[in-house]
Amino acid sequence: MTKFIIRRLLGLLPLLFGVLLISFILMKWAPGGPQAALAGNKSITQAEITQWLRRWCLQRETTPISVLQEFGGWLGVLNCDKDGLQAFTSDQGGLNFLPRALGGGDNGILHGDLGLGIRAGRPVLSLITERMPATLVLTTTALILWVSVAILAGLYAAVNRYSLFDQGLTFFSYVFYSLPTFWLGLMLIFAFAVRLDLLPTSGMITVRQWSPFNTPQYWAQFWNLDDPRHGPLAAIVDVGRHLILPVITLVAVNIAADSRFVRASMLEALGQDYVRTARAKGLASRVVVGKHAFRNAMLPVVTNVALEIPFLFSGAIVTETIFTWPGMGRLFIESVNARDYFVLMGLFLVTAVIVLIANLAADVLYAIVDPRIRYD
Amino acid sequence: MADPIHTVDPAAQAGMAYPTAPLANVEQAEAAVAAGARPEDYEVALKSLNQWQLAWRRYRRHRLALVGAVILAIMAFLAIFGPIIWPYDPLDLHRIPGPQGIAPNLTEPFGTDNGGRSVFKLVVNGARLSMLIGMGTMAIAVTFGVAVGAISGYFGGLLDNVLMRFVDIMLTIPFLFVILVAARFFGAGDPIILIIIFGVLSWPGLARLVRALFLSLREQEFVQAARAVGVGHLRIAFRHMLPNAIGPIVVSATLLVANAIILEAFVSFLNFGLKSQDISWGNALARSQATLVLGNWWWPFFPGMAIALTVIAINFMGDGLRDALDPRARE
Repeated sequence: MTKFIIRRLLGLLPLLFGVLLISFILMKWAPGGPQAALAGNKSITQAEITQWLRRWCLQRETTPISVLQEFGGWLGVLNCDKDGLQAFTSDQGGLNFLPRALGGGDNGILHGDLGLGIRAGRPVLSLITERMPATLVLTTTALILWVSVAILAGLYAAVNRYSLFDQGLTFFSYVFYSLPTFWLGLMLIFAFAVRLDLLPTSGMITVRQWSPFNTPQYWAQFWNLDDPRHGPLAAIVDVGRHLILPVITLVAVNIAADSRFVRASMLEALGQDYVRTARAKGLASRVVVGKHAFRNAMLPVVTNVALEIPFLFSGAIVTETIFTWPGMGRLFIESVNARDYFVLMGLFLVTAVIVLIANLAADVLYAIVDPRIRYD
Repeated sequence: MADPIHTVDPAAQAGMAYPTAPLANVEQAEAAVAAGARPEDYEVALKSLNQWQLAWRRYRRHRLALVGAVILAIMAFLAIFGPIIWPYDPLDLHRIPGPQGIAPNLTEPFGTDNGGRSVFKLVVNGARLSMLIGMGTMAIAVTFGVAVGAISGYFGGLLDNVLMRFVDIMLTIPFLFVILVAARFFGAGDPIILIIIFGVLSWPGLARLVRALFLSLREQEFVQAARAVGVGHLRIAFRHMLPNAIGPIVVSATLLVANAIILEAFVSFLNFGLKSQDISWGNALARSQATLVLGNWWWPFFPGMAIALTVIAINFMGDGLRDALDPRARE
């Protein structure tokens, strides 16, 4: 299995490279550029800009060659202080893409440098890591809710085919599938936050009670067991209350689509010969449905869910905007508006890696769920 | 089931497939049989139907698909004539009782926004641009998708490999990320540019589908026959193979329209899309969130319902077309 995972990982690397290259070209192709964005930030001096452009191989004019050079600099394959073929070697004389200890350079993402956020004037890595927990809280909760509800609803609908529940599920999945998700978010805000006043309209924490999420002060309050208003339990309840509406907004469409998918897959499995055999043997209905049919019905569902995980991050952009959730989605919107190239490339990198890991996880899960697959 | 057509059609009984199936004057025959005539006694004139007429016959039986077609026809009517009958004027302000506008009533069925402007007119006028964006995106994406998929599936080899790796990459990048970056950087305030961005980024899924269809069609006898008599590559791909792949392509095309309408709403809602003087459903929604906390649910509600209704209608039509255009689904 380890060998299989490693082989698949190596297969995914070219795909990651392609994703990053195309994102980079798209961004460089657009009018304007990092130079213009840098010039707009008054707190950076001209000397710093020149040094900065030099370090990242950023050229005055964008040509097809220069885009590749800049991409090489961003990756850390090229050493921007040298010209021509010499650029592949570091100041230590070794190949530039190698780690520093092996004689490589120190620039680019291969050496852990994601560049500088032009707007914030801070390293991209810290900008992203401080926003990541909020997004992960949102997306993992959403993922758990999505998978469990979709499977349970689809299963129940398949077993009780043409029941009221089944037909209701069909109706709702058609409706939800046709809605822009954020519209559902607006309606939920109106119903539960404005009219019924049960849940907060936006944000991740109650501002009057807690410091902003993921700051040192917040974690101090989080671990403060003496204050009855703070502490881990109060924190989880508080974030949980803020989570309900965004999570529903984020996954309503996925639940709608996948419960139908689970239902169809389950119905197909229930029609197979081995299910009839199992029933004929006199096995309990629970065993037939739960063990014989369910495991086989899950195969396509696993792949489908893993391939839809990217949409969770796309959805997070909108959901975080509606609910002013302090995550990567809003960082993305802010950075696009400010043309903050390095933050954007950093975000592309993070999401691409997550997507590819999800693909890999789908393969591995598939192997676990389906005993017929052998990876030797 | 007593089927008067098959009883007078020995070829169909023998299981012979027609390129275009003959059709009796069905209504008359059915009426006669219902009135007690024996089907084999009833003489009917044979009339041949082409593929599209057959498809329409199957489509008509799909009730939801018909509902979808009717809703879409109404929406199309609104998109074309709505702005003439109920023109929207952004300066048509009215006195409103509170900051949230006027709730729906008899004179203003959908209520008003926070400036006293009719939400009904907003929805009617938004139809035009939303539908145009949906159709335009579909046209571009289908052109690219079919071209790339057909070339890839027909020729195979290295070209196929390169094109499909590119498609893999495009399908891996979170779609909305790229759309938003492109929309901001290339200035999507212009509907034409928005359509081009959507279209150019939406084709990879369709290309993969068309390639799969072409890979299987390529091995079939009629293609080999065409090749044997010396038909050119382009003619084989687009005259002989494409018509056989048209069903799934049309279904995907309807879904592309639906997706583009939703996508426009997303992009405009995030203020990355059309300028505020251009009215689309997404744009109508975009400004409504600010006053939602005051309780004016009607402002976002009705544009959203317009989107949902249109998209549901298109999806229903897609389902109907899937059945109607499936060549194996001949009765």
